[in-house]
Amino acid sequence: MTYIIIALIGAFASILANKGVAVFNDGLRPIVPEYLEGRMSKKALAATSFALGFGLVIGFGIPVSVAANIILIHSILLGTDIIGTWSPDGKKGMIISGVIGAIYGVGLVVGLKFVVDLFSMLPVNFLPQLAMVSIPIVAAFAAFPALVVAYQYGVKNGIITLTISFLVRQIVQYYGKFKIGSAEVALNPEGMALLVGMIIMIIYAVREKADPNAQSVDLVSLFSDRVKRIKKNVPYLAIMGGLIAAGTSMLIIAGDPISLNLLSKGKSAEAALTALARGIGFVPLVATTAIATGVYGPAGMTFVFVVGILIKNPILAFSVGAIVITLEVLLLDVIAKFLDKFPGMKNCGDNIRTAMSKILEVALLIGGMMAANAMAPGLGLFIVIGMYTLNKVSKKPIVDMAVGPVGAIFVGVLINILYVVGLYLPTVIK
Amino acid sequence: MIRIVVGGQMDKDRVAEIIKKLGGDKVSVKIQTDIQAAMAIKTNQADYYFGACNTGGGGALAMAIALLGMPLCATVSMPGNIRSESEIIKEIENGKKAFGFTPQHAEQVIPIILNKIIK
Repeated sequence: MTYIIIALIGAFASILANKGVAVFNDGLRPIVPEYLEGRMSKKALAATSFALGFGLVIGFGIPVSVAANIILIHSILLGTDIIGTWSPDGKKGMIISGVIGAIYGVGLVVGLKFVVDLFSMLPVNFLPQLAMVSIPIVAAFAAFPALVVAYQYGVKNGIITLTISFLVRQIVQYYGKFKIGSAEVALNPEGMALLVGMIIMIIYAVREKADPNAQSVDLVSLFSDRVKRIKKNVPYLAIMGGLIAAGTSMLIIAGDPISLNLLSKGKSAEAALTALARGIGFVPLVATTAIATGVYGPAGMTFVFVVGILIKNPILAFSVGAIVITLEVLLLDVIAKFLDKFPGMKNCGDNIRTAMSKILEVALLIGGMMAANAMAPGLGLFIVIGMYTLNKVSKKPIVDMAVGPVGAIFVGVLINILYVVGLYLPTVIK
Repeated sequence: MIRIVVGGQMDKDRVAEIIKKLGGDKVSVKIQTDIQAAMAIKTNQADYYFGACNTGGGGALAMAIALLGMPLCATVSMPGNIRSESEIIKEIENGKKAFGFTPQHAEQVIPIILNKIIK
């Protein structure tokens, strides 16, 4: 079943990219119409999609996936973007991209399992320590709404938000358990802190009034043909969204590193909330790029992941996911108008994405250091910090967020090599 | 005085800060939404557009590409890859007005672009 779903996701996403209906990479989306409308060659499009996607797959998607053993969606859909744009046009291209996409999807699952199995067979098994990469994320993800508020309305308001989230967290931790009838209900401290932070963040954002002097651009009427094009493609997008929701409900894939790590720890309520917050962050980006380009994203505004996390039955998740993505597309004009009316929400979306990457960057770096240090005390910190700082000055740096997981995996492999040549003795064999 | 707008979409304050610090009184910097910023270039109320996002081309340039067209836009850095100084300078010489990059590379690419355009 896992293989069927992942093969379908890979095949379908590749075909959608091949047809220019949907691409996952937001950087690729604006370029697709340049090709479709004949201002850019197939070769240039393919080269761009490769350049934009490859670094993220290798340097970000795969390491994060290995550390938690759930596939980060970026690994799949950035790959299918590349497959779709490299395959030729027409019917032939559809078949070719579909077949390669399916193989790619299955290959990822098999490859990930193979790597994890391989690691567990090494003389020094570092998988338990590698799982520590996610500790800081699981503890600190609730801080991001405060950072969003701080970006938008100054540090003071950010501190207020963080303080309220903190108070809620502590109160829930000690008083959040109560009985309803015979059932015991335990509220989760981090989850509630995040929820409260998000509510404050949204209250701040909707209070911001549109500047009456600002030049407004009516995107929907400016690009009405492109909006029509997306709406015409709704049936295909619905299937794609449904497949992704189903895959998420089966815990094969996750939409972002935070919810991925939460899911790997079995914290699905928190994962759903984070995915929801991230979805809100992506609404302005996906809506405006979609309207302006006529190209959608296979995961849409990423709400399909929330569906998948919350609904454990894959078939039901498929149907609800399909409905959700259909609504997103049909409501594009409404969303664009709403964003015009509440400029605070658009900025909030931009800031959510900035804040989430900042938190992830720190959390994954520290997580990587903790994991590496648990594998090889001292040495681990030395290597990860060394890698992070060197990466900063590199001409071809990997994504900051990925240095932690990559570093931890590297240290894990390194201690095995050192062990074989007799330069390392495992510290924790008990 | 060169008029610069910071449009899309991540880390805008920091991008504007870097430009101000390097450009001093030779530049004026304005933070806007990506749509407003792209329109400012189109209506000649600004000379250059800067934008950052995690791909260097999506949130950063989507609106600029849609409103100004691809020939005026250039992605100068993307995840795992910063274009070389000579390539970036060539893009400016070819008349590009909107530049996209990832926030991680802002410190590296902004000086190259600014040094060229305030010359």
